[in-house]
Amino acid sequence: MHSKDKDRHRWRKFKSGLVSFGTLAAAVLVIAPLGLVFFHLLVNGAGAVNWDFFTQLPKPVGAPGGGMVNAIVGSLELLALGSAVGIPIGVLGGVYLAEYGSARGNAMLRFIADVLNGVPSITWGVVVYGLVVLRFKGFSAYAGGLALGLIMIPLILRTTEEVILLVPNGYREASLALGIARWKTIVNVVMKTASKGIITGILLALARIGGETAPLLFTAFGNRFWNHDLSQPIAALPLQIFTYAISPYDDWHRQAWAGALVLVMGIFCINVLVRILTRDRAGTST
Amino acid sequence: MINLIMAAPDPIVLETDDRTPESALDSDEVRLTFEVHNLSIWYGDKRAIDSVTLNVPSNAVTSIIGPSGCGKSTFLRSLNRMHELVPGTRVDGSVLLLGENLYAPDVDPAIVRRRVGMVFQKSNPFPTMTIGENVTIGLKLNGVRDRKFLNERLEKSLRMAALWDEVKDDLHKAGTSLSGGQQQRLCIARALAVEPEVILMDEPCSALDPIATAKIEELIHELKKNYTIVIVTHNMQQAGRVSDYTAFFYLGRLIEFGPTSKIFSNPSDKQTEDYITGRFG
Amino acid sequence: MVTPKHILGNFDEALSSLRNNVLMMAGLAERTLDRAIRGLLQRDDNLCVTAIADDEEIDQLEKQIDKDGVDVLLRFQPVASDLRRVVAAMKLSPNVERIADQATNIARRARKLNKHAPLPEVDLIVPIQAHAMSMFKDSIDAFTREDVELGRAVVARDKDLDLMNKKAGRLLTDRMAEDPKQLRGYLNLIFISRCLERVGDHATNIAEDAVYAAAAEDIRHQTATVAT
Repeated sequence: MHSKDKDRHRWRKFKSGLVSFGTLAAAVLVIAPLGLVFFHLLVNGAGAVNWDFFTQLPKPVGAPGGGMVNAIVGSLELLALGSAVGIPIGVLGGVYLAEYGSARGNAMLRFIADVLNGVPSITWGVVVYGLVVLRFKGFSAYAGGLALGLIMIPLILRTTEEVILLVPNGYREASLALGIARWKTIVNVVMKTASKGIITGILLALARIGGETAPLLFTAFGNRFWNHDLSQPIAALPLQIFTYAISPYDDWHRQAWAGALVLVMGIFCINVLVRILTRDRAGTST
Repeated sequence: MINLIMAAPDPIVLETDDRTPESALDSDEVRLTFEVHNLSIWYGDKRAIDSVTLNVPSNAVTSIIGPSGCGKSTFLRSLNRMHELVPGTRVDGSVLLLGENLYAPDVDPAIVRRRVGMVFQKSNPFPTMTIGENVTIGLKLNGVRDRKFLNERLEKSLRMAALWDEVKDDLHKAGTSLSGGQQQRLCIARALAVEPEVILMDEPCSALDPIATAKIEELIHELKKNYTIVIVTHNMQQAGRVSDYTAFFYLGRLIEFGPTSKIFSNPSDKQTEDYITGRFG
Repeated sequence: MVTPKHILGNFDEALSSLRNNVLMMAGLAERTLDRAIRGLLQRDDNLCVTAIADDEEIDQLEKQIDKDGVDVLLRFQPVASDLRRVVAAMKLSPNVERIADQATNIARRARKLNKHAPLPEVDLIVPIQAHAMSMFKDSIDAFTREDVELGRAVVARDKDLDLMNKKAGRLLTDRMAEDPKQLRGYLNLIFISRCLERVGDHATNIAEDAVYAAAAEDIRHQTATVAT
C-alpha cells in the first residue's frame, strides 16, 4: 500500500472519529439538563415532600410545616376545566381536518393551528384576562381553565388530525361498503382505531399545560385557601411555586422546591403513560 | 358488424359492435342482477369509464379483466357507488340493480352498499375488534341490538365464509390475529352478515398464497348459489377458473363480454386475444 | 396480418418448436407414404423397406410433440388461439402417425405383391393414392396457414375418396371371382386401397383440427357443412 493512501486512510479515520465525538457530546448536552433538574429538585425538595405536603393548607410565614393540598387540587380542577374546553374542540376539529373540509380550508386551518401553537402562553392569559376577567369583574377558576383549554386546542387538533390520517383508508372503505353511515364509520371505526393516538395527544397536551404558570397569573390568580367556588380565584401548583419562589422566606423556598418536584414527577408520570400507550400501539399494529 | 355467438349449454345471444361495444345478454334467457346502460364516469376531467353497457347475470360469477388503469376497478366500484368516495366524480348513464336505478336522485348510497357488499384487495378486518365483532359490526351499526339474532347471523356468516370451524373457539380473539387467507374470509363473512344481494370482489386473492387463493375460489363457487358475484382480477387463470362470464376492459371501454369459456378459447376481438394471450404492448 | 409476439419470448419459442415438430413429422409421413406407393407402382423393394424403417422416427416425433405440448400447457397456460394451436398440434400428431402406419402397411403389402407377377389392376390404385395424398398435403397446409376454407374443402373431399375406394373394391372382388389364382394379389390391392381410404380419414381429422385451431369451430360430425 502506498504511504499516501495510508495517510489518507488515517485522515479519514480522524474525521470520522471527530464527527462521532461531536454527536456524542451533543447527546450528552441534551440529557444533562434533565439529569441536573432532577438532581437539583431531589436535593432541595425531597426533604419537604411528606404527608403534610399533600394534606395541609399552606401555613403563614414562620409557622413550620404546612402543605399545598389546595394548589394540587386546584391544579387538577384547572386541568379538568381546561380539558372540558380543549378536548372536545381539539378532537372534533382534528376529525374535521382529517375527514371533512376542503383542501384549501384545511390548509388554512392547519396554518392557524400551527401559529397558535407558537403563541407565548402568557398571551393567552392576557387575552382571557381581557375577555373574561375584566368583563365579569374578577379572577376565577373558569378563566384559568379557559386559558389552559385554549392552549390545548391547537395541540390536540394537530395530533388528532395526524393520527386519524394514519388510519388506513381500507378500514373506512370496508365500513362504508357495509352500508354504515359516514359519521358512524368515523366514530366507530376510524376514531376507535386511532383512539390510542388521540389519547396520547390529549395526555401530551395535559402535560404541557400542567406546568403552565403565565396564563394563570391574570386568570386563576392563585389562592392561599380552599376554594370550592369555580367563579372565584383558585390556587394552582405552578402559581404557588412561583409565589413561594419569589418570596424572601427560606421556609417557602423549601416548599417551592417540593412543589416543583411534585409537578415534575406528575408530568413525568404522564409521559411514561404516553410511552406505554404508544409502545402498545406499535405492538398491535405490526 | 354484428356477430352472433352461441354459448353452451343453452345459447345466449351476444351482440358485439366494433365501434361501441354494447354487450347484452338476452334477458329472456338469464335473470339479470345488474343492467348497466351507457355508463360513463369522470374523475374531474378524466374519463375513467366510457359508455359501458353490460348486463350482469344473477347467481353467476362475472369476472372483469384488463390491464392496470383500464377502469375495471372503477367500474366495479360504480356498482355500489363506492367510487363516489373520491371527490369530484361524475356519473352519466344508469345502473339498474334488479330493475332499480342506483343513481336515481333519491337513492341513499348507504342503502345501495347494504345490498351490494364488497371485499377488497387487502384484507382489512377492523384492528380494534374481535373476530365476532368484525362480523356483526355491520348489523350493529345499522341498529340491530338483538343478541340472539346477532349470534345466529355471526355463525351463519362464518359458516358461509367457510371459516366457522377454524375460528369458532376464538371468536373473542382479535380479527388481525388470523392468517392472511383467514382474514380475507373474515372480510367475506363480514360482508355476508348484512345479507347483501351481490358481492363485489376487488382482486381478493392478489395478496394470498395459492392454498389460501384456492380456498377463496372454492368459496366463490359455493357463494354463487345464493349470490351474484362480480370479481376484478389480474390473474387470468383465476378468471378462467371461477367465473361464468368475463368482461374485458381496455382504456375505460368494455371491449368484449361473454361466457368465460368463449372469451378464453375464442375471443371475438383482437385486443382481447392479444391481452389474454400475453401479446400486449 | 402480423401477429404480435408474446411478451414472454420463451413462450414464442416453445410454440414455434412445437409447430416445427408437427411440420417435420408431417413431412416425414408424406415422404413415407410416397415411398410406399412408389415401391408398389415401381415394384421397388428398397423403397418399401426404407418406408417401413422411417416409421420409427415418426413415432418418436409423436411422443416428442405430446411431451412439448404438455410442457407448454404446464408452463405457459396458453389461452385463446395459443391454446387452440397447442391442442390442435397434440390432436393431429396421432393422425399423422396413423397415416405413417398406413404407409408401412402399404409398403408391406407391396413387398408381397412384388414377389409375384405384376397385376395390371395396380393402375386402379393410382387415382386413389393421388386423391389421398393431396388430401393429406392440403390438411397440413390448412393447419400451417390457418386456412379455414382449405380445411373445410379437405373434409368435403373425403366422400369422393370413399366412393373411389368402394368402386375399386367392387372391381377387384369381381376380378377375384374371375381369376381365383390371383386371389392373394387382389386381396392385397383391396387392402392397399382400404389403407389409402384410411389416410383420407386421418387427413379429414387433421383438417378438422386445423379449422378448430384457426377459427375455434368444431366442424366434426356435422351432417352438412354450412359455409359462413
